[in-house]
Amino acid sequence: MQVEYPKPSWSQKFLVLDLLEGLKTTFRELFKPKVTVRYPEERNEPTDRFRGMFKFSYDRCIACKLCAVACPIDIIYIDVHDDMIEEGGKKKKVKVLDRYDIDVKRCMFCALCEEACPTKPKSIWLTTKTYELATYDRNDLYFNMQELEYWEDRPRYTGLPEEDEKPRLDETRLLK
Amino acid sequence: MNKALLTYLVWPLVKFLIAFIIVQLIVVAMTWIERRLLGFIQARLGPNRVGPWGLLQGIADPVKLLLKEDILPTSAEKIAYFLGPMLPLIPAFVVFALIPYGPPPAFTVTRVNVGLLLILAITSTAVYGIILGGWASNNKYSLMGGLRSAAQMVSYEVPFGLSIVGVLMITGSLDLVQIVRYQETNAWNFLPQLVACFIFFVSMNAENNRTPFDLPEAESELVAGFHTEYSGMKFAFFMLAEYSMMIVNSCLIVTLFFGGWTFGMFGVGLTTSVLRGMGFFGGILGAAIFFAKVMVFMLVYVWFRATFPRFRFDQLMDLGWKWMIPLALGNIFVTGLFILAGQERLMYWIGLALLGATVFYLGRKPAPRKGIHASRVSEA
Repeated sequence: MQVEYPKPSWSQKFLVLDLLEGLKTTFRELFKPKVTVRYPEERNEPTDRFRGMFKFSYDRCIACKLCAVACPIDIIYIDVHDDMIEEGGKKKKVKVLDRYDIDVKRCMFCALCEEACPTKPKSIWLTTKTYELATYDRNDLYFNMQELEYWEDRPRYTGLPEEDEKPRLDETRLLK
Repeated sequence: MNKALLTYLVWPLVKFLIAFIIVQLIVVAMTWIERRLLGFIQARLGPNRVGPWGLLQGIADPVKLLLKEDILPTSAEKIAYFLGPMLPLIPAFVVFALIPYGPPPAFTVTRVNVGLLLILAITSTAVYGIILGGWASNNKYSLMGGLRSAAQMVSYEVPFGLSIVGVLMITGSLDLVQIVRYQETNAWNFLPQLVACFIFFVSMNAENNRTPFDLPEAESELVAGFHTEYSGMKFAFFMLAEYSMMIVNSCLIVTLFFGGWTFGMFGVGLTTSVLRGMGFFGGILGAAIFFAKVMVFMLVYVWFRATFPRFRFDQLMDLGWKWMIPLALGNIFVTGLFILAGQERLMYWIGLALLGATVFYLGRKPAPRKGIHASRVSEA
């Protein structure tokens, strides 16, 4: 369709009043609130559907290994052994999870493991609110079962550490 | 010590040193103020990490630049490459000896009766360093930047000089002190010479290669223009020269059009005689008023940079040759007519009316648009 551009009037063409209009706009912007978040001191809380770091639940997991099968780069390592337990006088065979490791440094957070998980609610899920995953050592990003379940308890990042303190999160890891 | 030696060498040197230090402090402050102000206009905060409110950024930047490796391109013309950053510094620094900062004789470094002419002559040589630096880098982008800078500075030198003529006609002197003294008894020159003031301000932006005339260092076209190949302290020298020249031009516009160190018109207010009556403190106050006015124009530079997009090169030349120069010539002609008719006072009222009309235009509500504007195509 035909678009009509507004024809500049004489005053717009020969005077510079439009430039002053622009200056007025930028001057108004000067006093408007700023969008910058000064990160270590203040931080944005992600929304409820934010997809962040993994969370794992040992209690819900039925050790079916579907997540490891679904993983496109095979970074979920699961070891299982069978165990017999007595329940109401009957002997029953259950799978017991020995090892559930995720090599998060190679993970692309595609969430196919979450999709594959048959339990309800999911025993591995990514809708957590953590995005502070940076470490000083790449081996720190290899998470075992306990770490995957309890990483929320580790301290948050509050800026660079002091000179003598070692910038490692190892000591603060639980159950290692 | 010989008295003549004291008055003609020692005192001017001391005064020049003080003025120089103040100017360099403004340059250091501007590196912080400019980035901070640009950030605020662009809905962000700007540098705020070094020191309280990022105030030490002006010190951190030179330290970083000093510690950086000084790279010499293998194919560069060595002598010219070294001279490039040095040459624009010399005129930018020398000019500070010619500007009156406060009531004379105590607060002027030197008083030259053709001071304005001398300043114009000296500042014009600043372009050599930029051309030399651009050429010596042996890089086509640098060369393009240097050539653009040369063309632009030569083009805008003409309206820059012509806009001053109107001021000279009504003040009748090339002495900067005389020009300021004229303005305190009559109105500040921007009122009778509103058009000249506008032309001077635009050309001064163009002379400094500032946005919207920053064609020589247009990032999207020329990487960084003439200083693409420069690193470390040589790059800092280019920046230092640019900001010093900005201050020189701000000093000039304050002296020529905005009453210099005085704060009053028609002999009322803080005029030279009032400031002299206050003794040494009055002189300091005059210098403070002067630098406050200069800072206002430095901030306007930043404001312009935040507002206007860059010109295309042919538009830039069009503006310079087809609009600014005829406008400046017309201004000289009209000013001459008024002076011939002996109606100089009438010029104040015309200037005042123009200013009032502008303010009225900005204050009014915008008229509703007729027809479909390009931005509303999707709605239509």
